Amino acid sequence: MSLLADALEHLVRGIVDHPDDVRVTLVTTRRGRTLEVHVHPDDLGKVIGRGGRTATALRTVMAGIGGRGVRVDVVDTDR
Amino acid sequence: MSETVQTAEAEESAETRSSASTEDLLVQEGDIAGDYLEQLLDVLDYDGDIDLDVEAGRAIVSIDGGEELEKLVGPRGTVLEALQELTRLAVQQETGTRSRLMLDIAQWREGRRTELKELGKSAAEKVLSTGEKVRLHPMTPFERKVVHDAVAAVKGTYSESEGEEPQRRVVVFRES
Repeated sequence: MSLLADALEHLVRGIVDHPDDVRVTLVTTRRGRTLEVHVHPDDLGKVIGRGGRTATALRTVMAGIGGRGVRVDVVDTDR
Repeated sequence: MSETVQTAEAEESAETRSSASTEDLLVQEGDIAGDYLEQLLDVLDYDGDIDLDVEAGRAIVSIDGGEELEKLVGPRGTVLEALQELTRLAVQQETGTRSRLMLDIAQWREGRRTELKELGKSAAEKVLSTGEKVRLHPMTPFERKVVHDAVAAVKGTYSESEGEEPQRRVVVFRES
């Protein structure tokens, strides 16, 4: 399971301006497991992409490598 | 004072960039993509050899190896397309320019290309004999391009794409 988090962290680090600020944590709730992606606020747009395109690509790859049923959430830290 | 120096340096590096040939940039794209994907394989503990090439004005990255690579291709190549998208972004992050890099895994694109050529050819032949247009199922941009090329090779037929992604599909017509 941490393998999924590590893979996601690597994929995100490569596409942002602040790779050292990338953290992925696995959170388990009643609704299931979620990989929470934390990035530098300035990188939020990059990780989400136009129309959510990049976030969708990240979810597709995670589903492919065995994370089907695991949610991927890009966390807006300003919230 | 230090600002002046920085500006001069920035100009110089911009000049170096523009004088670097496209070929050099494409080789650099391949290197960055190779690193990004190799580290992914390491994390996942997948076996894979990464091959870098430059062809028809774009960088080509091919990964071949163990059976688990199929997971990185996914149903109808969807995971492969997503990983290609992320790899292009990783390259753009380093070079500052948009990348048209092509990623292939387990020779999926090669195999698919052969199937799609056949499909395009047989659709065009059907259109020629019946005179009725043929609408194919939704495809990715890569898949549609292969089909358009195959149809174009059959005299008396032509093709267009219609609909919005991801439901965009090729329609084959007979020339009037």
